Amino acid sequence: MWPGRKTNRTHTDSETPQRLRKIAIVGLPNTGKSQVFNNLTGEYALVANYPLTTVETKRARCGIDGETYEVIDTPGLHCLYIHSEEELIVRDLIFSEKPDLIVQCIDANRLKQSLTLTADLLELQIPLVISLNAIDETARKGIWIDSEGLSRLLSIPVVESVAVDGIGTDELKAAITRARTGKIALRYGDIVEDGISTIASVLPQDIGFERKAAVLLLLNDRFLVERIRADYGQAKADQLTEQVNKIRRQFRANLARVLNDKRSGWIDQTVDKVTRKQKIQPGRFSEAFGRLCRHPVFGVPILLAVVCVVFLLVVNVANAIAGWMDAALWVPVESRINEFVPSGFWHDFLIGDYGILSLGLANAFLTILPILTVFFFAFNILEDIGYMPNLCVLTKRLFEKIGLRGSAIMSIMLAFGCKTMATLTTKNLGSRKEKYISVYLIAFALPCAAQMALNMSILGRLGIGAFVIVFAVLSSVWISVGLILNRLLTDDNKSAFLQELPAIRLPNPKAVIVKTYYRLLWFIKEAVPVFIYAAVILFVVDKVGILDGTKNILKPVVNGMLGLPLQMVDALILTMARHEAAAGMIIKLVEKGQLNYVQCIVSVVITTMFVPCFANIMAMIKELGTTRAVIGVIIINCTAVFVAAVVNWVLVFASKQ
Amino acid sequence: MNHKRVKDEHIERLYYMKEEQKDSVDALNVAMGEGFDAGIIEELDADDVVELSQQQTRIRLTEKGADYASKLIRAHRLAERLLYDVLGGDFESGACEFEHTVAHELVDSICILLGHPRLCPHGMPIPQGACCKKSARMVQSSVIPLAELEIAQSAKVAYVNCKSDQQLHKIDSLCIRPGAIVTLHQRYPTYVIECEGSNIAMDEQIASSICVWRGPSQPKSVDKAGPADRLRTHL
Repeated sequence: MWPGRKTNRTHTDSETPQRLRKIAIVGLPNTGKSQVFNNLTGEYALVANYPLTTVETKRARCGIDGETYEVIDTPGLHCLYIHSEEELIVRDLIFSEKPDLIVQCIDANRLKQSLTLTADLLELQIPLVISLNAIDETARKGIWIDSEGLSRLLSIPVVESVAVDGIGTDELKAAITRARTGKIALRYGDIVEDGISTIASVLPQDIGFERKAAVLLLLNDRFLVERIRADYGQAKADQLTEQVNKIRRQFRANLARVLNDKRSGWIDQTVDKVTRKQKIQPGRFSEAFGRLCRHPVFGVPILLAVVCVVFLLVVNVANAIAGWMDAALWVPVESRINEFVPSGFWHDFLIGDYGILSLGLANAFLTILPILTVFFFAFNILEDIGYMPNLCVLTKRLFEKIGLRGSAIMSIMLAFGCKTMATLTTKNLGSRKEKYISVYLIAFALPCAAQMALNMSILGRLGIGAFVIVFAVLSSVWISVGLILNRLLTDDNKSAFLQELPAIRLPNPKAVIVKTYYRLLWFIKEAVPVFIYAAVILFVVDKVGILDGTKNILKPVVNGMLGLPLQMVDALILTMARHEAAAGMIIKLVEKGQLNYVQCIVSVVITTMFVPCFANIMAMIKELGTTRAVIGVIIINCTAVFVAAVVNWVLVFASKQ
Repeated sequence: MNHKRVKDEHIERLYYMKEEQKDSVDALNVAMGEGFDAGIIEELDADDVVELSQQQTRIRLTEKGADYASKLIRAHRLAERLLYDVLGGDFESGACEFEHTVAHELVDSICILLGHPRLCPHGMPIPQGACCKKSARMVQSSVIPLAELEIAQSAKVAYVNCKSDQQLHKIDSLCIRPGAIVTLHQRYPTYVIECEGSNIAMDEQIASSICVWRGPSQPKSVDKAGPADRLRTHL
């Protein structure tokens, strides 16, 4: 019935004699699921203080008390009645794989919100453990949660934890070994209960979770009906739909409201029994800071200050580190090679213009790595604070103008971290128009974290003026494209904007350092080989003579239209492999004095816009289909060349005046 | 009839007996007729709403009980006036149900609308409310969209108007539901509210579809601004 179940069964039968016990970690968005996953398994899934950090499930093994479990990290889920595609992934996972155990992560600050999901999970009759996270924060706020009382009420283990510090992990492991199915005293009244049993009796035999499935059908869950149609045939689906309609007609009142009210009643009672609030609550600095960040007047200077600080850090600190590393590590190597390897093929292969050491390793480790280290460190602090989602509020009106009204805004904010991940989050958008606009806008002229770091570093060599010019150009291109797309695409169902904002937190130093470490590790694993291959390929095409030929063909465009030296062709080719590699080459050209002020600006504009990275293109294909994605990429590339040419003409004209 | 209703009926009857200066349990028994329930009297005693004499023959409302009763009577008699003066109908049968179902927030509005009547159509006094003491003249709708709250004002959610069940579930999952206390933090560039400890950004359409009770929702805010302050007062 559910996707993947059959394959899953054969998989477990053939590969492991004994079925691995599965633990699914579920919870509301931004409740520390990935952190708990990391703590349990020793793996590293990216964590941040905002929703949508995890868009796909991640699995790893974990040994507890001599038994091996498969632990599954999942995207956020509000309740089993589905709001988005992403939540559907989680529900399908629970229904199809029938995990042996569920760990629900609850942010202790938002206990009430989480209990909706708890009520749903308890109805599944799967053993449940609650990990009550961020318990240190509630204590500071003057809220006391009786976790033992909660445990007694639900008859399941409830573990207090501070997941970022790894506190409570051992207790959670112990709780997992004694997990059991909980009890819930939630009944919906005679008419509804009768309806539930009637529908449950008509349900296909092997569907599992009869009660919950029946409730979901009563609520007109279209995903579930579709699934039944696909797996058990039209007749079964029709029979169920007819039965549901009969009961709904009998009931007359709005069933969704009645069920929600009953559940809310249960939740309110439960929360009242287990929480105590201090009468006087301490004033919270972080809360006040969050409000200032969103404030229409104070928010803007705060944003500018944040950008300025990051810019100065990247320009001064990173460039200083890079300079020092170059002198300490590269210069000796280079001089040694010059000494021992006579100029010729091998010399060029190692440290020539396209040398495997110079353009490959040194470029990656000595030029790019220091920049990324400093930038990611600063950026991870901002992520840990939870600053970015607050910009949703500040930029709401702007986004409305370009046709983005709903949660697409959050996707765009995430793109400043990673464009690929942000593209994947657009699958949750209800409106097709918003989905297209946001996927294109994410790919268009918007620098991801790494690109932003490199741009800052390159432009920082010319002063803040260049940085301002480039970002003015990029933003105006971006907004114009948004305005055009908004005109071109017709409105379908207008989506509403409803976004929970994460609480502002003081950054946790350990979390920031660990995350910076992993981001750099991923860069080294993924990008460095690409740097080396790209160097080898360039070296070969250069030796064969194709490179010069290509340069001659492209001369009218590169030299004529863009006013760039021909060496920039190398950088543009590298851009296709990896944006960081191109940036490294531009930095070298700037240092050698081969790019002037205007050329430098034009180079940054074109490399930021030119060919979105490979992963981003794959994500676009996944969300839009191949044709639309390819057309999009072609348009983006043409626009990149055109805009860069215009910038060149304008700046050259302006400098002559 | 539900349990609370039966209790309320007893309390109301005791209030009438107080007006008539009677306090014997027998009198209550006679007045209540078939509705009399000795179990309820015990419960009311346990709840500290009534006090009984040592021989259990005399009964009267405690201060807490009298306070609660006067609220019920006020709603009942105001309803009588409303039906009698404004609608000209059979006031007694309608008003009987009224005090059990009406929200307290609405009673003041009816009182203001009617110009703070002192007596019910039977000529019995109507207990005064806070609005009478302030002689409020203007009625404002008791339920307003969240979008119309003042910045930093808190209110209790009355109901949520939704386009679809889908949206209802989404709003509900953020704990924005009848009875929840919400605080409006920001209106521009978009709405930001706080509900159950979390901040939620929303657009105008959603902020307008969430309807809240005007007036104080927490004892804390009563001190700062009473309900009548928000009704435009006139002395």
